[in-house]
Amino acid sequence: MPILQIKDVTKVYEGKVTHRALNQLSFEVEEGEFLAVMGPSGSGKTTLLNIISTIDEPTSGEIILDGMNPHKLNATELAYFRRRQLGFVFQDFNLLHMLTVEENIVLPLTLDQQPLEVMEERLASIVEKLDLTPFLHKRPNEISGGQAQRTAIGRALIHNPSLILADEPTGNLDSNSSRDVLELLTKVNKDKHTTIVMVTHDPIAASYCDRVLFIKDGEFFNEIYRDDRRQMFFQRILNVLSLLGGGQVGDLSTIRLP
Amino acid sequence: MASFFSVAVFFIYSMLMFHPDIERGILGEVSLIGMVGAEIVLVLFTLFFLYYSMSAFLEARSHEFAILLHLGMEKRQMNKLVFLETMIIGAGSIIVGIVFGFSFSKFFFMIVREILHLDELPLYVSWQPFLLTIGVFTSAFVVISFISVYFTRERKLRDLIKGSDYLNSLTTYSKIRAVYGITLILTTYILAFVVGHTSLIGLTLLIPFSATFGTYYFFSDSVPCFLDLARGKRKFHWQRYRLLSLAEQTHIMMDNVKMFFVVTMVSTLAFLSVGVLATMSSYTTQYDRLNPLGLVYKGDIDNPYEREHINSLRLQLEEKGLSYQLSRFVVVKQTSSFTQNEVEVFRESDMNVLLSSYSYPLLNMDSGEAVFIPYSEDSLKKLKDRVVHTVLEENSIPITIDSVYPKIVFPGSIVSVNSIVISDEDFANLINPISEKNIIQPSYHLFTFVIPQWMETKEIGKDIDYLESNLYFLKKDKFSPFYFENAGLNYSYILATYSLFTLVGVLVATVFLLAAGSFIYFKLHTSLEREKRKFDVLKRMGLTDIELKKLVNRHLFPQFFLPWGVAMMHSAFAFLMVQGILKDIANISIVKEVFFAFGFFVLIQVVYFYLIRWRYISHIRS
Repeated sequence: MPILQIKDVTKVYEGKVTHRALNQLSFEVEEGEFLAVMGPSGSGKTTLLNIISTIDEPTSGEIILDGMNPHKLNATELAYFRRRQLGFVFQDFNLLHMLTVEENIVLPLTLDQQPLEVMEERLASIVEKLDLTPFLHKRPNEISGGQAQRTAIGRALIHNPSLILADEPTGNLDSNSSRDVLELLTKVNKDKHTTIVMVTHDPIAASYCDRVLFIKDGEFFNEIYRDDRRQMFFQRILNVLSLLGGGQVGDLSTIRLP
Repeated sequence: MASFFSVAVFFIYSMLMFHPDIERGILGEVSLIGMVGAEIVLVLFTLFFLYYSMSAFLEARSHEFAILLHLGMEKRQMNKLVFLETMIIGAGSIIVGIVFGFSFSKFFFMIVREILHLDELPLYVSWQPFLLTIGVFTSAFVVISFISVYFTRERKLRDLIKGSDYLNSLTTYSKIRAVYGITLILTTYILAFVVGHTSLIGLTLLIPFSATFGTYYFFSDSVPCFLDLARGKRKFHWQRYRLLSLAEQTHIMMDNVKMFFVVTMVSTLAFLSVGVLATMSSYTTQYDRLNPLGLVYKGDIDNPYEREHINSLRLQLEEKGLSYQLSRFVVVKQTSSFTQNEVEVFRESDMNVLLSSYSYPLLNMDSGEAVFIPYSEDSLKKLKDRVVHTVLEENSIPITIDSVYPKIVFPGSIVSVNSIVISDEDFANLINPISEKNIIQPSYHLFTFVIPQWMETKEIGKDIDYLESNLYFLKKDKFSPFYFENAGLNYSYILATYSLFTLVGVLVATVFLLAAGSFIYFKLHTSLEREKRKFDVLKRMGLTDIELKKLVNRHLFPQFFLPWGVAMMHSAFAFLMVQGILKDIANISIVKEVFFAFGFFVLIQVVYFYLIRWRYISHIRS
């Protein structure tokens, strides 16, 4: 039973300039899968993420998350849903500047009024896994980008959500930190069986995933599954990306592997 | 908008000041000084306020400026831009302010006329207030433009693009200063208390200093210290909203120390001025009760002017068409055996003449009976159950004083604390004067006029008054043979002073309050974008609407009510002090009026809070 189903979702933005962001997009995500959604800028990746995370509503079509349609919930239930079932990782970390690292991580639990022991226990386990122990009492403006993103991941994980949504998590990081973050996400995916949907335009990041979904101009373009070796998967991703760039098929020939 | 309002207020006030009638009015020099003083305060304050609002405005547009600079605008061009914009805004608000102020002037004059009990205050057109307002505000705007330009020059382009750095002001506080702050404030309160209940008026000078410093340290150190202590305990701290709100509060407090300090002081000043008004108003209303007589004339038995003065007074009253009732007393001083002090003795039938003119119940006493004459409101209660058996020594008349007359019949300035009424029969036996050698007036004549329309009497007896002060000046060590008091005249003086204070006070208080409120508003406004982003993140993480409102509440509430609460506390203690002093001097209570004024302030602040909160939430949600 797929944990996430997107069925014929269309999103049109009205206004002075009408813009069709998504056009009858459909796909499914199994539980425990690590999915990447790739596409050039303006292809509707962020819109898709917004719709899944219920920030935005589809103009037509529906999404089924964990067996129910979150858009049918009222505002309060929606908030609880987001708080308990979903986790977010943003490109610019979005940590709260006035809280320390550990407070940032534990914030969702405090808002949910969890008992203190539960909070402390989960905090301890997450911090260990994320390797953040020396930074617990620092503020976000005192730690590096990689550490900040790891904090954000901790915050996204602490309430044991069923689905994590990541919007270009390595966008603001250097290569080392990116690698750390991606390996962390992979580990989380393997150990906790958490489903992760990552939106990215970085093929290196996509190569860490189980499956990559390509979107162009709001429509489904292609999807490829991973190989045993990451290098090969990376090359195949690049192939598809080169096709994405051209206007007609066959504009740019695919790269052949030896 | 704010500039326009200050211009309008200033203009109206100038119109008033330059009004020819006022200059000629009874208030004369005192009022002029008062008004000029208030004007200066207003100008200074407006300057400060304008500067602040301008900076907030420029700050909000720093991003725009950054883009312009990035595109290659010269510093010089940008300076010109800022300068021009400021001047345009300034000119616009001056013009609109003047137009607005002028249209409201008539209305305002009507109000003033009512307050000051003047006959009329016609609208007039003169160049003076226009010129003054334009002059003052133009220079103000020019000055401000220069200062703003100077300040924008300092920023680096990179900072401007990124937006002002929110985070770099996490200054630390010192525990010592925290304790110091609270101690100073407590000291201020204790001092106020002490001054109120003793007569150490000199200590009053210390109070503003300790209050100011105490408040500053309170905000810069005590509050963060306190918040830090709260964050120490995890169990308490990691609860629902507290984690976020405490962290935010700490941040806000540390960021805005100066602002909170200024807001508190300004609010305190506003409260105090309104409180002073309340005092005066209560004094004025109570004046009526405490001074029931229209005119009082007291003189020696051998006062040479007596006949002439009394006749002239009666003539003047009749000319003015004021009805009056004259009572004549002969008062004899005696020594009371009970206290061995002097006591002033009044005759029953004289008293009854006065009492009947008040339509109060008459006295009916037998020989040997006597009644206390109350000299103040308090004395009514104090003497009610007192029974004194004494003998009027010089004439060996035994009397029993067993009650106090239940109403005040003489103003406090006339009657001594030891005054009694005895029956006619006993009075007739008062042949020997008081044995004490050094008394100047062993007995005296008292003429009292009960005039129902006593407020109209201010012209009466002016010549007598004049004569009295002259005699007092010429023969400084001799007492004048007579004493004349015109309650109507005194009242008009008091009323005039009161009105002046009201005018000045209300204006100043309004300006201060508005300013305090707008400081907070500006601060909130500038941080709106940031807050919106933060709430966006929180909403993604899952925040219900109710929780959003609660968080906003916790965010806004301290910013509004903490400085205001401190200001209230300060004012409350100041008033306690004033009440203590007043009790000794004038024996009135201002508690009721002060409560009323404070209640009014609470109401205003709450309404303002809800208004701003509503706007804030709708902004955040959009």
